[in-house]
Amino acid sequence: MKGNGALGVLAVLWLAVLFAAPLLGPGRLDLDAALASGSIDATILWQMRLPRVLLALVGGAALAVSGTAFQTLFRNPLAEPYTLGVAGGAALGAVLALHIGEWSGFGGLPAVALASFAGAAAVGATLVALARTERGADSATLLLAGIAISLSCSALILFIQYQTDFTRSFRMVRWMMGGLVVVGYREVGWVAPWALAGSLFLFARRWGLDLLLAGEEVAASRGLDLDRVRWSVLAVVSLMVGSLVAVTGPIGFVGLIVPHMLRRFVGHTHGLLLPACFLGGGAFLAVADLAARTVMAPAELPVGVLTALMGGPFFLWLLLRRRTPLA
Amino acid sequence: MRLCADGISWSVAGKRILAPLSFEVAAGECVVVVGPNGAGKTTLLRLLAGLLAPTTGEARWNGVPYARLGRRRLARHVAYVPQIRPARIPLTVEQLVLLGRFPYLSAWQMRPSAEDRAVAFGALERVGLEGFVGRPLDELSGGERQAVFIAAALAQQTDVLLLDEPTTHLDPKHQQEVARLLLDLSAGDERAVVLTTHDLNLAARLADRVLALSRGDLVVEGPGDEVLVPARLEQVFDVPFEVVVEPPQRYVLPRLQP
Repeated sequence: MKGNGALGVLAVLWLAVLFAAPLLGPGRLDLDAALASGSIDATILWQMRLPRVLLALVGGAALAVSGTAFQTLFRNPLAEPYTLGVAGGAALGAVLALHIGEWSGFGGLPAVALASFAGAAAVGATLVALARTERGADSATLLLAGIAISLSCSALILFIQYQTDFTRSFRMVRWMMGGLVVVGYREVGWVAPWALAGSLFLFARRWGLDLLLAGEEVAASRGLDLDRVRWSVLAVVSLMVGSLVAVTGPIGFVGLIVPHMLRRFVGHTHGLLLPACFLGGGAFLAVADLAARTVMAPAELPVGVLTALMGGPFFLWLLLRRRTPLA
Repeated sequence: MRLCADGISWSVAGKRILAPLSFEVAAGECVVVVGPNGAGKTTLLRLLAGLLAPTTGEARWNGVPYARLGRRRLARHVAYVPQIRPARIPLTVEQLVLLGRFPYLSAWQMRPSAEDRAVAFGALERVGLEGFVGRPLDELSGGERQAVFIAAALAQQTDVLLLDEPTTHLDPKHQQEVARLLLDLSAGDERAVVLTTHDLNLAARLADRVLALSRGDLVVEGPGDEVLVPARLEQVFDVPFEVVVEPPQRYVLPRLQP
């Protein structure tokens, strides 16, 4: 199964997840009651589970699409928003907001969400500024700069955690695990526009991303403006990931695993790979979240912990069973 | 059509890599740039390809400065085949050659048009690889890969073709095939071809004019039988040469030093 066929299968899978995931979970839903208004089952279905599944679908899409774009842009199979510090910046912002704890937010947005979005945007802007300096930074330099920023953010987070009191420290740790626990349509509304617009933006640049696979020198000589591609992709990914992390906390590995998994089925060209990642990333995160709220019911596992637990070993297995190298 | 370098030079961090240099290439002409390692050959090609902005001077296509053409329009007139490329490229032959159509593709078309496909397939036929369409690039030999990259540049449908050491790492048979193709592309198709090489016999065979660079300076420019002579070559490369003329071919051999 290759190419368009695989994309069709993914679309069917995506729809199946959209319809099935809200109905599944701990505690059985009575479908008739859920479809009638006013019942508890209806509230669970429409106000709790559906927004959560929708958030997983757009959030997973944002992560997988961003991961693909970064892997191509940096010509590195390990590049994703997390290795490059965008999520680290978001986490630092959130942890700072939790530490200060006075400010209650603005315009209906909680302080933690605003601060983490600002953190992601700050890191994104730093990387964009680096890419736009007069000499321009090459991709390898940008990758290393991103890693350095990511490590600095982790260090600052540890420092703040050490300074803060026990309750706040616990809330920080809990936030860092990443989850889709308290969501309504409002949160979906924060994430979805960025995820959709960002994915469309990257899709419109699919030929240029394909060219980058042949090397920057070839790409530039075919008429691709490398500097512009670098900073615009960085900016778009920062917005997509920043808005998501602001709501959910960091959810790792989706941007790494999903693109690598899907390349085996749809190949490396972005006209197919980006739509496949949009569908596959969303379905993956929705299923992971379904598992996270089911396996330990009535308790819930943060989905970030689950993706990390599954992700590491799965990725190793994927690497070891391949006959051809990944990069 | 003329490609014109007007006093172009390039410096990085105050260090001069290429001294101001002027020359012209007309359609149907083949100019070969020779010189020792570090002479500035690749820098010159990258300036002509618009990949570097010259520190002084400007490059012009048919009288239009590159800065005014813009990257995308420049790519419809000037194609470049770099020597250094990623070791692994996860594309098929067809995908890579179709991407040669990039300067003509729009974000709104879902796939390359029938014309794009026809041009790409024609380019593959031109290099004799029409049977390789669906093959992954990473499975090809060095000679085949080079031919595919030339085909991708041809798919750009440009009147200028720039090649950085196109025969390096190729066996003698593939070297000769590439040489024959390049002759055909310049003299046969009325394209302007500029290439760099360390293979002075290739230069002798292809060049209408030879540009000899050394440490960023243009040492001598002229037809092959004027530049590829022992005295000039020793001046450029700093080793003695033996030149055997057997019309129409000219064999250039570095003389072994004890």
